Amino acid sequence: MKIDPATLKKIKRFQSIKRGYYSLIAISLFIVLSLFAELFINSRALLVRYDGRYYFPTYGEMIPGRVFGFDYDYETNYRELQKRFREAPSDDWALMPLVPYNPYENDLRQDDYPPFPPSFTEKHFLGTDTIGRDILSRLLYGFRTAILFSLALLFATYGVGISLGCLMGYLGGRFDLVFQRVIEIWTNVPVLYVIIIISSILVPNAMILLLIMAFFGWTSITWIMRTATYKEKTREYVLALKALGASDARIIFKHILPNTLSIIVTFAPFALSSGIVALTSLDYLGFGLPAPTPSWGELLQQGWSNMDAWWIASAVISAMILTLLTVTFVGEAVREAFDPKLFTTYE
Amino acid sequence: MNAPIPPQNPPLLSVIDLKMHFPVRGGVLKKTKGTIYALDGISFTVREGETLGIVGESGCGKTTAGRTILRLYPPTSGSVIFEGKDLARIPKKILRETRRRMQMIFQDPFESLDARQTVYEILEEPFLIHGMGNPTERKEKIHQLLDTVGLQKSAASLFPHEFSGGQRQRIGIARAIALNPRLIVCDEPVSALDVSIQSQILNLLIELQRERGLSYLFISHNLAVVKYMSESIIVMYLGKIVEHAPAELIYQNPVHPYTQALISAIPVPDPTRKRRRALLSGDLPSPRNPPAGCRFHTRCPLVLDQCRREEPLLRCHEGDPDRRVACHRSTEGIKIW
Ligand SMILES: Nc1ncnc2c1ncn2[C@@H]1O[C@H](COP(=O)(O)OP(=O)(O)O)[C@@H](O)[C@H]1O
Ligand SMILES: [Mg+2]
Repeated sequence: MKIDPATLKKIKRFQSIKRGYYSLIAISLFIVLSLFAELFINSRALLVRYDGRYYFPTYGEMIPGRVFGFDYDYETNYRELQKRFREAPSDDWALMPLVPYNPYENDLRQDDYPPFPPSFTEKHFLGTDTIGRDILSRLLYGFRTAILFSLALLFATYGVGISLGCLMGYLGGRFDLVFQRVIEIWTNVPVLYVIIIISSILVPNAMILLLIMAFFGWTSITWIMRTATYKEKTREYVLALKALGASDARIIFKHILPNTLSIIVTFAPFALSSGIVALTSLDYLGFGLPAPTPSWGELLQQGWSNMDAWWIASAVISAMILTLLTVTFVGEAVREAFDPKLFTTYE
Repeated sequence: MNAPIPPQNPPLLSVIDLKMHFPVRGGVLKKTKGTIYALDGISFTVREGETLGIVGESGCGKTTAGRTILRLYPPTSGSVIFEGKDLARIPKKILRETRRRMQMIFQDPFESLDARQTVYEILEEPFLIHGMGNPTERKEKIHQLLDTVGLQKSAASLFPHEFSGGQRQRIGIARAIALNPRLIVCDEPVSALDVSIQSQILNLLIELQRERGLSYLFISHNLAVVKYMSESIIVMYLGKIVEHAPAELIYQNPVHPYTQALISAIPVPDPTRKRRRALLSGDLPSPRNPPAGCRFHTRCPLVLDQCRREEPLLRCHEGDPDRRVACHRSTEGIKIW
């Protein structure tokens, strides 16, 4: 398999647009990092040495406190464990992650009420929210939720859009006509309102929310794909393949799809950022993912209603801006590198 | 080289009153708002090993004719008999199999190749489509094909855009002959090429014909090119045949005023000879609204009242079975120059 020169040129061109290229590296790094969030931000220790044995609590079953000599059967409090090891010197020790809080636990104190401002000694680097949960922790896990959700949404809408759009463009005729009208009607449905109505009837989980959003989100990519396929189909090389006796399936999968892929790729970053924005707005309004799922929208809502706790709003707003800006930079660069207008002629 | 083909050569392709009308659609519901009479009833026969030329101005329906004959477009009416079978009546599966023996060479060699594929992949495609050979056999075949059309083996790993126009057309020709066809429709195969390259490609086609006994349907707007290639020539005007004659006769004694006008428009290389006037005035009428009566009457210097009312039939000229003309005044022997 040799990558064709046109594609190679596009990739090279993308790499030469530094801002977009580094943004892609950054956002990929963030995503990978968030996938392994448990290693950096977690209430479980990374590694515990106790009585000559080693424990890796991060992934896997919870380890009851009794195992480490506490008198309870629920999950070990590793922060306590570490403190205990430090106070009574022995060969035992515990290695905690950078931020020793998971996004769900409330770090409550005897003498004070949350939200607590940023504190290095408490290892709440960005402070806590109004019920004492670590903000950095909720930010990272919320990022993971948002990005995974948007990616899933992207795959769902692209799956429908690519297959349906391709069929519409390729088959044409009545099939095309009917779905053209359906899309026109569909795009006029105010999606957010529909979701709000549905959410007020039933409590949505991630899967339901995803289905609803995909149900209304497939139209634009379908339209793009339809146009691209339609154009591609009328090109002479398709006629040459038909003259050779190639089947429709072969023409679509081996020739038309690979040739239209570069157009679809251009829209992916923008679809991703709009997915993030949509989920955040829904969560902000309280119609999104159910509590206590870590989410940026929910944090934003807290920040908005607790302006005194400036660290909440400023953290989530900065994170939002940073993420959206990065994704947009990638999108712009991809668009510039893949611009079909520059590639219609080859000489 | 254009030796007359003995009439005993059996017919390979017969086209009978073939029509291709394109609907013009508009509005939200894509209702039919009109019809383009791109191809409006043509009939002819191509014998084995013969080249039949089709000539006519751009827009007269030559490309449509070639594509409809190969059933790349579904004809409105009429039939195409290839190897004795009506292409409209054979099942899809057999049609697909039959496509191995009728191929096409396109005008724009770049547009007709998938730019994402290497030459190797392009030439392998015909064999893959028909499930022929194993990888080693295919490789052998592809190298043979490249050699046949005058390209190096090393060309296989390159992409179409890395070649010149003439070389690309060689790739297109290699693909067309890959499955050993008996008929090739050549749709303006040299019109997009430099004049200096054109004769190389034409000679390659002639050589292939001699080696393989191919039949060509050779389409061009350029009468000189068509004459160089063909034993007999069909002149088309607005979707119809106006004249059909052996190549030599069409030059020496064109009967239809449109044919005469076409010939008069060919540049004369000899400067001492008087240049003929260009006799064709006005534009080709739209095939959406072809003139009533004789389609050529709007531009014909010999037009009579009858021509405006009555459509002339394509008939044998002066009892010669090889010559057909559609003109009310064909028997008068008038030359318009
Ligand atoms: N697929 C099509 N749909 C609609 N009209 C067409 C199509 N193909 C050709 N035509 C029309 O048919 C007429 C003949 O076109 P064509 O066969 O390409 O002529 P030529 O090859 O002689 O230049 C033109 O008026 C053209 O616009
Ligand atoms: Mg043409």
